[in-house]
Order: sequence, then C-alpha cells, then structure tokens
Amino acid sequence: MKFKKIFCGVLAASMIMGLMGCGSEEATINTSSTPEEVTLSINIWDTYQQPGLQQILDDFTAKTGIKTELSVITWTEYWTILEAGAQGGQLPDVFWMHSNESQRYMENDMLLDITDKIAESTIIDPENYPEDIWGLYTSSDKYYAVPKDIDTIALWYNKTMFDEAGLEYPNADWTWDDMTEAARKLTKPDGSQYGVAIRNDGGQMGYYNMIYSNGGYVISEDKKKSGYDDPKSIEAMQILETWINEGLMPSLSIMAETNVEVLMQSAQIAMTIQGSWMLSSYEESEYALANIDIAELPMSKSTGERVSMFNGLGWAASASGDHTEEAWQLLEYLGSKEAQEKQAELGVTMSAYNGTSDKWATSSSFNLQAYINMMDNMIINPYSRNTFIWDSENNEILKQAYLGEKSMEEVCKEMAAQQNKVLADE
Amino acid sequence: MEKEKSKMSIFIHIILIIVSLTMLIPFCWMILTSFKTVSETMQVDPFVIFPKEWKIDAFITVMKEMNFLILYKNTLLMILFRIICCVITATLAGYAFARLNFKGKNFAFTLVLIQMMVPVQIFLIPQYLMISKMGLLNTTFALVFPGMVSAFGTFLLRQAYMSLPKDLEEAAKIDGCNIGQTFLFIMAPLTRSSMVALGIFTALFAFKDLMWPMIVNSNKDTMVLSSALAKMQGQYVTDYPELMAASLIATIPMIIIYVVFQKQFIQGIATSGGKL
Amino acid sequence: MKSKKMSPQQKNEFMWGWIFILPTLIGLVILNIIPIFQTIYQSFFKTGDFGRGNKFVGLDNYMKVFADEEVWQSLINTFKYAIVEVPVSICIALVLAALLNRKMKGRTIYRTIIFLPMVTAPAAIAMVWRWVLNSKFGLINNIFGVDVQWLSDPKIAVYTLALIGVWSIIGYNMILFLAGLQEIPADYYEAATIDGATGMKSFFYITIPLLSPSIFFVCITRIISALQVFDLIFMVMDKTNPALSKTQSLVYLFYDYSFAQKNLGYGATIVVVLLILTLIITAIQMYAQKKWVFYN
Repeated sequence: MKFKKIFCGVLAASMIMGLMGCGSEEATINTSSTPEEVTLSINIWDTYQQPGLQQILDDFTAKTGIKTELSVITWTEYWTILEAGAQGGQLPDVFWMHSNESQRYMENDMLLDITDKIAESTIIDPENYPEDIWGLYTSSDKYYAVPKDIDTIALWYNKTMFDEAGLEYPNADWTWDDMTEAARKLTKPDGSQYGVAIRNDGGQMGYYNMIYSNGGYVISEDKKKSGYDDPKSIEAMQILETWINEGLMPSLSIMAETNVEVLMQSAQIAMTIQGSWMLSSYEESEYALANIDIAELPMSKSTGERVSMFNGLGWAASASGDHTEEAWQLLEYLGSKEAQEKQAELGVTMSAYNGTSDKWATSSSFNLQAYINMMDNMIINPYSRNTFIWDSENNEILKQAYLGEKSMEEVCKEMAAQQNKVLADE
Repeated sequence: MEKEKSKMSIFIHIILIIVSLTMLIPFCWMILTSFKTVSETMQVDPFVIFPKEWKIDAFITVMKEMNFLILYKNTLLMILFRIICCVITATLAGYAFARLNFKGKNFAFTLVLIQMMVPVQIFLIPQYLMISKMGLLNTTFALVFPGMVSAFGTFLLRQAYMSLPKDLEEAAKIDGCNIGQTFLFIMAPLTRSSMVALGIFTALFAFKDLMWPMIVNSNKDTMVLSSALAKMQGQYVTDYPELMAASLIATIPMIIIYVVFQKQFIQGIATSGGKL
Repeated sequence: MKSKKMSPQQKNEFMWGWIFILPTLIGLVILNIIPIFQTIYQSFFKTGDFGRGNKFVGLDNYMKVFADEEVWQSLINTFKYAIVEVPVSICIALVLAALLNRKMKGRTIYRTIIFLPMVTAPAAIAMVWRWVLNSKFGLINNIFGVDVQWLSDPKIAVYTLALIGVWSIIGYNMILFLAGLQEIPADYYEAATIDGATGMKSFFYITIPLLSPSIFFVCITRIISALQVFDLIFMVMDKTNPALSKTQSLVYLFYDYSFAQKNLGYGATIVVVLLILTLIITAIQMYAQKKWVFYN
C-alpha cells in the first residue's frame, strides 16, 4: 500500500511538472526578442527560390541591420495562411503577391500603400519595370507592391527525338501548324512516345499563348467579358483539339498522374510549353540536361504573330504590420537594381527590372535566350478580381474536350458563358 | 488430429504472410526507389525493379537539405506536450463523466461527442487566428495548442473508468478519502494502461497531423517532420529517390517507438474495453 | 426525500465533477465549440472578403446546396468510399485479430507489420501509392502487364482510394479488436472445443458475439472518420485528374469552397449538412445496437 501511495505521488508530481512544462514553454518564447531589434517575417511559396533569396536578404541585413525571417509554405497553404492572417490583422510583414489574388487584397486595404514612398524614392522609378506588372498591383491609382520578377513562356523539345525522326529542331520561324506536323511525326503508335503534352490547366503554359497569338483573347480589357467564344479564340483552341483527337498528346489521365515536366524528363513526350519558372526542375534532371533544349514559341499562321503570356510577382507588405517603415525599406531594396540583378545572376528567376534579365540567360546551359526573346511581344496573363473561380471552373469544363465528350467549339462556348457569369458578379 | 492441426497452422501462416506482404510492398517499393537514380525511377522499358547500383546519394542529399535533428526535436516536443496535456485533461474528465453524477454532465458530454463529428478542417482558421493574435506563431506552444484537450481521449478514458468495479470507491469513502483523493490515489493508478494507450494514440495523431503544423510553423527552425515532407513534394518536385529517402528517415523512429511500446499499447486499449 | 436542494453528497459531487471536467470543457469550448457555432452561423450568410461585410441570406445557401449536383455527387462519392472502406477493413481486421490472438510463432512480427501504415506519415503514404499505382511508371501495371488507370479512371478511382484507406486503417482496427479479444476468457473456447466446435464455428459463435461491443465501437468511430475523408483524396488526387469530380468527398468540397474559392458561407453549409448526416447515421447505429451488440 505504501508503495502505491509513493507511486501515486510521483504520478501526481509528474502531472504538475507536465503542466508547468507547458506553461514555461510559453514564457520562454515571449522573452526571445528584445524591443530594439526588428525582425521582419517574410513568406514565399517557392522552395527553389529560397537559397538565392536568402543571400539577397542577408545582403539587406548587412546593410541595414534589419533582420529577416524567411518562411516557405507550399502554394495552397500559403494562401490559406494569408487569408486567415488578413482576417485577423496578422499578415506577415513582407510577402509575395500574385495577380490571381491581388485585387481582393488591395481593395480591402490589406496591403501597405506605397504610392508616396515610391514617389519619394530615389531607388525605385516605375519607369524601370514593365507597366503591366505595375498594373497587377495598382488599385485606384495607388501602388501596393514592388515588382519582383517576370516570367515568359517558351517551347521545350527533346533534341534526341527530333534527331531520331530526322526533323529539324524548332526555330523562330515555326508556326503552330509546323508544330502539329512535327508532333505527328514524333508520336509513336504504341504509346511509348507522344509528340506534345499540354494539360487542361495549362492556360498560361499552353493554350493562352495560342489564343492570343491568333488574335483571340481570354478576358476583355475591361474585365467584363470572356473571349472564349471569339471565333479567333476558338480557332486557336481547335489546334489543341487536333492534338487531342489525333492522339498526339497522352491522355489527360496520364498527364494528371504524372506532371508534364516529368513526362518530358522521362522521354515520354517530345515537346511541351513551359514557363521560365520551371527551369529549376529541368536543371536537376541529368536526362534533360543531355537531351532537352528550349526554343521560342511558334507563331500563328494567320496573324504572323508570336505571343508569350507573362506575369510577375510583387513584393507586398502588410498594411497593419508593426514595422511598416522597415518593411518598406526591404521592398525598396528588393526592387533595387542591385538586388534584381543579383536575383537574375543567381538564376533565381528573371527579374522585373528592365534589362537585368540578360544575366539570367547565362545562368544555365539551356538556351534561355528563347525566354528573353519572347519578351519582345508579351501579353499579361489574363486576370480579374476572381480569377481563381472562373479559371478553375474553365479547367473543369475543358476536361470534357480532353475526354472527347464534347467538341472544342461547344466547350469554348460553355466556358465563355460560365466565365461571363462569374465576371458579372464581380 | 496433430497432422490436421499443423496443416491448419500452415494455412494460417500463409494467410498472414500474404497480408503482411500486401502491407509491406509499398514500403519495399519506397526502400528500393530511394536507392535508385532519378532516371531509373522513370524508366518504363525495361521496367526497373531493383536498382542497378545501390546508391545512397538520395539519403545524403536529403540529410544535407533537411535538418532532421531539428525536425525530430520539434516533432518530439509537439508529441510530448500534447500527450501530457491530453492525458491529464482526459483522465480527469473521463473520471467525472464515468463515475460522478452532477448537473450538466450530459450536456457537457454531448459537446464532447459533437466535436468528434465535425471535420477538423473547420477549426483550422479560427485556431490559427487565436495563435496569431497571441503572437505565438512558430513556437512549440502553437504546435501543441489544438491538441491540448482531446474529445477522443475523454471518450476512451470514460470507457476505462466505466469498466472498474464500484466497490473500490465505497472502500475509499469509508477510509475518509474525498473525491479528489479517491481519484488520485485509487482510481487513476488503475487506468495507467489506458493512459498509455491514449498517449500512443495522441502520438500517432500528432505525428500524422499535417495541415496545422504546416500553417502555424512554417519556419525551418520550428517545422515538424510531416510538414517538411509535404513541402518536399511541393509544386514541381520530380526527384522520387529523395522523396522516398526522406519518407523513410521520417518514419523509422515512429516504427521503433511502436515496436517498443506494442505490448502496453494493446493492454491499454484492452482495459478500456472499447465498449460504448 | 424529494427535496429540491442538493444533499451535501450531491453538492460535493457537483463541485468535484465540474473541477474535473473544467480543463477539458474550457479547452473544447475555446478550440472547437465556438468555431462550430461560428460555422453554423456562417451558413446563413453570404460572406464578404476576409470575413467582412457578411450579408444575411437566410436559407439561401441551404437551397443552393440541395440543388447543387456537385454536392450530391460528392455525397455519393463519400458513401461509396465509406461503404467499401468500413466493412472491408473491419472484416479483414477481425479475421486477423482472431488469428493473431492465439499463441503462435512470429505473432509480434505480424502484428508490427500490419500496424506499419499507422505509423507512417500520411504524405509518405500518399506519395508511395501514387507512385505504385501510376499507370505509366507504377509497379502494379508494369508487373502485371495491365494498363489500368487506377487513380484517374472515373469509374474505379473512388474504389482505389477506398482500398488505400482499407490498407492504412486495418492495423488500427486490428489493435482495437485484439484488445477486445483479451477480455474473452479462454475457457469459453475450451468449452467450445469440448463441444466439438472447430475454429470456424467458434469464430462465428463465440468470438463475434463476445467481441460485438468492440466491433460496435470501431463501426461508430470508423464511419464517422470515413464520412470525413479528406487527406487521402487531397494528397492523391491532382486538380487536373479527370476522376476528381467522381472522387471528391463532402469535406473536400467544403475545403475547396472555403479555402480555395473563399466562399465561406457555402462551405459552412456543406459542413452543417455533413454534421446532420453524421448525427443521423450515428443515432441509427445507437438504436440498432440493441439488436446485435451483446453486453455481459
């Protein structure tokens, strides 16, 4: 019995210790930062950019003494956190903004208004960055983010497969029809090799470029109308339909189970269309380095135009943060020519600052010049206030064309109707 | 008769081996893949089952890129504090729900049950807001927070106390113990094994919790294993050997813990009877 | 005797009772109950950006949910999943528990292996199954030389997912059954053997009835979790997967509306519908248990 009592005593004591343990944990955390030193919290979503950006942030800390704490969160969770943070007035000090979401955040005053600061700044001159990227982060003529980078789209192809088929490599004179022709020759009937692959969600990295080069559009300038029912858009989308119907592309099932870049790197497909941000994935593949290269996108036969969609992220700061002054200093530094050049040089991404991207072109053994050349005729990736909603619904509808349930023309009209409805509610 | 018995036992072993193989194949595939090169994993013709060379490169890269010591430490801290909080609160509440009669008991117990019937995702944002308002993002406390109390645990311990004989308390009362003493010195020690069971369940659930640690602790110094893994298969990762190597390194400690505690674990659940 | 005042004994129990449940209750109320009521409240509103400017819409969300084909399809998917996952995992686990309750060689090893999926990170499980079942590079298709789109054929994907669910939950069910079996006295079986009952017979006439409380417990908790299936679908099914609309569960749909589309009111409505459904199913089980669950 005595033993039992001792045991219980020990148990009770350990319970109390446990509770105290919980409490002390909390206490130690609160004392960890002294009031004078400022640490800015920064959120981004791309793991591949982390090492390079960390170097740039270290430079900033060395210069200003302001510390930073960089967190990388996967895309889906990133927006969950940001949404929750915005609701509770607890956004990170500095974070990436994307055109899909920027409108809502700007209109609700979640982002720090940096219009006056830019006007006073000697470092940031809006002239030095593409106007359209500013456009993504401007609301009622106020600036809410500093352009971070720019991305364009180009054609990736498997040199070995082209050699095998006795075809010439894609070149700057190619039209979409030439691409179709090549895809036919590169597709093997036994399903071991396909000519091309573009998924139903591959708008920016795929059919948007075809639509715009053909003179069509996805969303009107005033963001009120869908362009999917425009005859020129439909005509462009019918090229995609040809690829689907003639079996030049793997089935959607295969592409859903295995990402297009994996299919490319595992010698399953001969061509695909990819954004410049995909580079890091290919750099890690030995097969890709030995067999794959990049060319400019084809042009439309009827218009003779070659178009690349483009987009750019912005560095934004929280309007309700405790350190908005320091946050602005960081934004200013990140937008400076020095930091933007470094970003390109380190091969992190192309930079938004005009002319700095040439340094990026030499950061890899792939023909990155193709991406730079695509900058000659760029159109901003279509967006509106609720991009995500109509975009994901369109992708869902487009599946029917991939599965051969409906013709592309029907599908395009359906997408247009759906999108118009969403736009009317905005 | 003996012959038939041994025939039977062979038959049983065959069944068990088949089941075990089904359970193991994905793990074997994980191990095999982690030793392959990237191109071997993506080769179809001929399909590669065994790597040509057993390469440990993936393990080396993963060890370099992910700081497993910190990840283990954070995961362990989260699990440990969740167990402590859960076991204490659930034991207390479980006892009250099973053995005491008081006003409001049924209402309170209904709240416990309802909690189990809602998907946990609805708590994500409200709880995140609380933690961020307290300024405690990226702390161990944030990891522990939603797991401090457990409806499941309360339920489990209630079952355990229900199965104990009534006369134990009567005897204690005659000895002059009040309810608190009776609980602490007589009843609680009798449910030790259920506490162990709850501890292990809590550890399992905490280890498998993915979304919460991912959104509250995104910093590399406070991240836990599950979110580090999920982050690895982020948007455009194609390196299966590395993914599998990381998964293996993340899983092995839990397997060891389970093997060590297996006996107590089953015993713990046994005394709670699993009855409603 | 029927005085309205509490006796000192009752007072005493009242006080201790509340002291004991207070930590749990405070925790539950703050962490869970308040958010649940917020969710119910939200389901009557059209939510504005960042939770501001909510507009009361009465039962509009509910009308929309009931007219929404996508919701019905998800409901069907959820049921399909549960109908395969729960019974199959319970049956297999029962047999395994009965076999592994006997003294035999390698018992610990078998138990450990079967429990293995329970101690594996869900991200790893999803990853390895995606890879094993991949129609091009996967182990299964290449070994058996078949071309089945396990995870992207709309007709079979939901069952594939349910089988992955079975695979990952068998160990958990088995442990609970093993625990229940330890309570059955050995002399029951001895008596049965004397009566000439063979293994099969004693399984059906002794094991199952005596284990019925455990089976019932597992049934209730597993059905609740199966109705809430989310992680598995979220991690295995890609957004572009043509089978997605035939596999997404109610919780998946809720997640999509609340988190991706920021339509909190609509998402909340889906959760409330699920909650009511779960309550009904659980209540029916509670009622039906009298018919088949055998208590000592």
